[in-house]
Formats: sequence, C-alpha cells, structure tokens
Amino acid sequence: MTFLRAHRTIATVIAFVLVYAIIKALNLAGILNAYYIQLIMLVGINIVMTVSLGMVNGFTGQFSIGHAGFMAVGAYTSAMITTVWLHATTANPWVGYPVFIVAILAGGLMAAGAGYLVGAPSLRLKGDYLTIVTLSANELIRTVIRVTPVLGGPRGLGSIPKLTTLEVVFVFTIVSVVLMRNYLFSSYGRSMKAVRDSEIAAEAMAINTTRQKIFVFVFSAFFAGVSGGVFAHLLQFIHPDNFSFVKSLEYLIYLYVGGSASISGAIVGATVFTLLPELMRSLQSWRLVIYPLILIMVMIFRTEGIMGLKEFSFVLVPQRQRKEVSA
Amino acid sequence: MALLDVQHLTQFFGGLRAVSDFNIQLEHGEIVGLIGPNGAGKTTVFNVITGVYTPTKGTIVFDGQNIVGKKTYQITQTGIARTFQNIRLFSKSSVIDNIKIAYHFHMSYSNTDAFLHTRKYWQGEQLVDDYAIDLLRLFHLEGHAADISGSLPYGAQRRLEIARALATKPKLLILDEPAAGMNPAEADELMEMIHWLRDKFDLTILLIEHQMRVVMGVCERIKVMDFGETICEGVPEYIRNDPRVCEAYLGKGA
Repeated sequence: MTFLRAHRTIATVIAFVLVYAIIKALNLAGILNAYYIQLIMLVGINIVMTVSLGMVNGFTGQFSIGHAGFMAVGAYTSAMITTVWLHATTANPWVGYPVFIVAILAGGLMAAGAGYLVGAPSLRLKGDYLTIVTLSANELIRTVIRVTPVLGGPRGLGSIPKLTTLEVVFVFTIVSVVLMRNYLFSSYGRSMKAVRDSEIAAEAMAINTTRQKIFVFVFSAFFAGVSGGVFAHLLQFIHPDNFSFVKSLEYLIYLYVGGSASISGAIVGATVFTLLPELMRSLQSWRLVIYPLILIMVMIFRTEGIMGLKEFSFVLVPQRQRKEVSA
Repeated sequence: MALLDVQHLTQFFGGLRAVSDFNIQLEHGEIVGLIGPNGAGKTTVFNVITGVYTPTKGTIVFDGQNIVGKKTYQITQTGIARTFQNIRLFSKSSVIDNIKIAYHFHMSYSNTDAFLHTRKYWQGEQLVDDYAIDLLRLFHLEGHAADISGSLPYGAQRRLEIARALATKPKLLILDEPAAGMNPAEADELMEMIHWLRDKFDLTILLIEHQMRVVMGVCERIKVMDFGETICEGVPEYIRNDPRVCEAYLGKGA
C-alpha cells in the first residue's frame, strides 16, 4: 500500500511538472502571450476560491454568498504589508519572496479571523442565517475599505509589487487544493458531509456540528484570503469594487455549474467559466447571450452541475477510498 | 445503581404539557418498552433524554452523570445512542461512511493530521476501515459497503441505522419505532436481533414501538403513557390484561 501510494505521488508530481513545462514552453515559444499567461494565473486563483467555497457550500451544506469579502481582506492585508516593506527592495527576490509569503499568509489569517467573526455567531443557528450574514459581511467589508483612506479608499490601492508569477500560482493552487482534498477525505471531511445530509443525525452521532461548521468556514475564509493576496500581487492594483457581491456571485456560479459537492466540479467550473468569456471575445456582445445560455443548459440538463458528485479519481481520491468514493 | 435514572421529568411546550412527572429507572442489560397511543409523549421523552429539548423540570442521571442541559452530541459521547422514527441516514454518503461518521468521536488524529495526511492519519483510517467492515459484516451489510446509503432497501436502511448507532459505542441504545413499516417476517427478525444486540454488545435497550407483537415479544418491562402521564408499568403479561391500557388504546367500554 505504501509502495503504491509513493508511486501515485510521484506520478502526480510528474504530471503537474509536465503541465507546467508545456505552458512555460508555449510561453517561451511565443504561442501563449502575456495575456494568456495572466488568464491561466487567474484560473488558478479562481480554482482555489471555488474549491474553498465548495468546502462550505457543497460539502458542509451551508450557504455562504460573501466569499469575495474574505478575498478582499486577504488582498488588502497582504498588499499593505508588501507595499510598506518592499518599497525600495522589490528588485531583490531574496527579500521580496519571503516578505510576499509572510504577507499572503498574514492575509489568509486576517481573512480567517474575519471568517470567525462572521461564522461563529451565525453558524450556531440552523437555517438561512449564514446566507444573510455573509451577504452583509461582504458589503460591509467593501464599504469599510471604501471609506478608509489608508487603504486607498474609493480610488483603490495601486503600485503593489508584481510578485505573483506563473510558478507562484502553480505551487499555490496545487498546495491549496491538495490540502483541502486531504481534509475532505478524513474523518473530519466525513463529518462535514454528515452535517450536510442531516444535521440532527450528525449531532446524535456525537459530532459537534457547530464546531465542525465554524472550523470549515474559517479555513475556507483562510484560503480565500490567501487567494486574495495572490490576486492583488498579480493585478498590482486592487479596488473595493473588485470584491463586491457580484464577484461572490461569480464564484457561486463556478461552483454550482461545476458541481458543488465535488472538488473536480469546482475545478472544472472555475476553469471553464474563467476562460469562456475571454475565448468568446471575438463574438463581441453575442457572448453575453451565449454565456447565460450555457448556464441555463447546464441547469436544465445537469441539475447537480457538470461533475455531479463525481471526482477525477486518479488525482483527487486517496488510493484506499477509490472504490467507495461518495460525495 | 441504575444505568439511567429519570426523575420527575416534566416538559412543557408553551402551555402544552407534553410529559408530566415521568419516572424511569433502567438497570444494566434490561430491555424496556415505552408504549402509548399517538401523542402520548413517548418521542418527547426520547428527545429530552437525548438532549434535543431541555426539560422544564426533573433530573436525568446516566451512568452517574447528570445529563440535563448537555447538548445532544455530548450526551451521545457519554454513551446514549439512538435511531430515528423516520430514518435519518446520511443518505448521500456511502454505507461504510455512515458507520465511520458515527465512529468519528473515537478517532484520535487531529485537524492537522487530516490536512497533511500524516502517518497518524493513515493508521487511523486503517483502524476505522477495519472496524466499519467488521460491524457491517455483523449486520450482513458488507456487500453494500460502497453503495450510497439512500439507495438501500428499506429493511437494510433500518439495520444500517442501528449499526450506525452502535458505532458510537453506546451503553444505552434507544430505538424509536424500529419495526415501523416492517412486515411480520421482518418484525420477527428484528425481535431476534434486539436480543442478540443486547447480548453481543452488552447493551441496555429502551424502545418505543407500536406493533404490540414486537413489544410483548421483546421487552422485559413495559411502561405505558397516555396524555403525557404514565398510566401503567410492569411485565408484558400484566400490561396485556390491565384495563387502563385497554382503555387508553381502545376507549371506554371497549
């Protein structure tokens, strides 16, 4: 078993390295220009956002609709740290990257803190309270940023050092998704699904459902915060309106169209629907017709999302659980 | 000392008195039935014991601990497990996952082990896998281990619910209408199983049931409730012949 596991890990790592090498080669050969590379990086960030949202909405059965708010907390926290500390030393990667790592982790922790403040009171209750609270929290965070001059207020925060590279996004996406997938295939992950299927029965089976829900919500906010940090250092300019409710809605669309109770679904949803609008640019305003049409088709023909409850089992399901995989 | 000692339990819902001055003592290893017409307050008693409601008045001592005011999950951790009148499985999870979920409280690895899949995680998973398969085998469900639990036939779902309750390693098992929807042959099997459960897992069993044949066949002691009050208590033969019980079920002059 250990032998098999090691093989699988090596095979997976080789697969990731190959994908990276191909993208990099295409870039160097001039086939993928800077615009496409940026698009690929956005796909990575959106994957982490969607998978982390899926932990709460798809697997724990809660309905959070303010995920972009936590992204904003992470983005602004990390951007403040790097813009202040790296004022003159941006050119030196030996200083730049350690500070960047500290900054995005700090962003993640701040977002997790915000997640705790939002989640702890509202997840104690059963029902729709979380939905209302997350919606308000999202708008509250955006408004607070808007009226805080230090954070750039309504003009946004600029001149953030460009520290997010293709390599950074690659490592960040893979590590985040693997961590969340690991958690899901653990006793705690099973408890999350128990809460989703029947909170009453979960409680009767000795699971502290409140603690489990809050923990998931907090680490989901953490990953959203880290994504925000990576996002800020990619665009180099962030504005409160980047993180409005509309942005949260985009993630909800990626998640539910991809398949909410499936990591693979979240990945497919985020990838397809980040790329689609861009690839349809040549169609001009027709894309605003085609995009919603595709959404409607998915809603009619695949109610549970593109992937439903299924996973790409080779990479995403631990060896021993492959045979008995369930949503 | 009694395993479960309920004294003067009273439960109001607003102005409605659902249960009044209810007393019950369960000795280790007993099988006791709680019967009564619909609305007599039986399920309310179960819900109060398992912490779904906090009683208006009264004390509940289980295994030497006062459990009034504790949350449901804490009460299950002290050793009381239950099944539900209307089956409440984790219907989108696999059969084996249902068992593993109930075993969660006995798992020893931390959140960090879960994120990193450490050695401790793999050991824990191996342990729970073996445990769950063994338990499923006892209930003849091992062939369904990988199936989604919501897709099982009704009888198998009932068995799985009992198996799941046992995975919390209880001392007291509370069954809420285990024979509901079963035909006579299935009910016979169930009666056999209840006796077997008690001996095999060293349990004390408290059950609510409407099928008199099952209640009379399996319980050593029966308590009859009507309108929230205990009207009669004793061995099955005594209950069968008590006029108050006939009256509660069939009405006066029957």
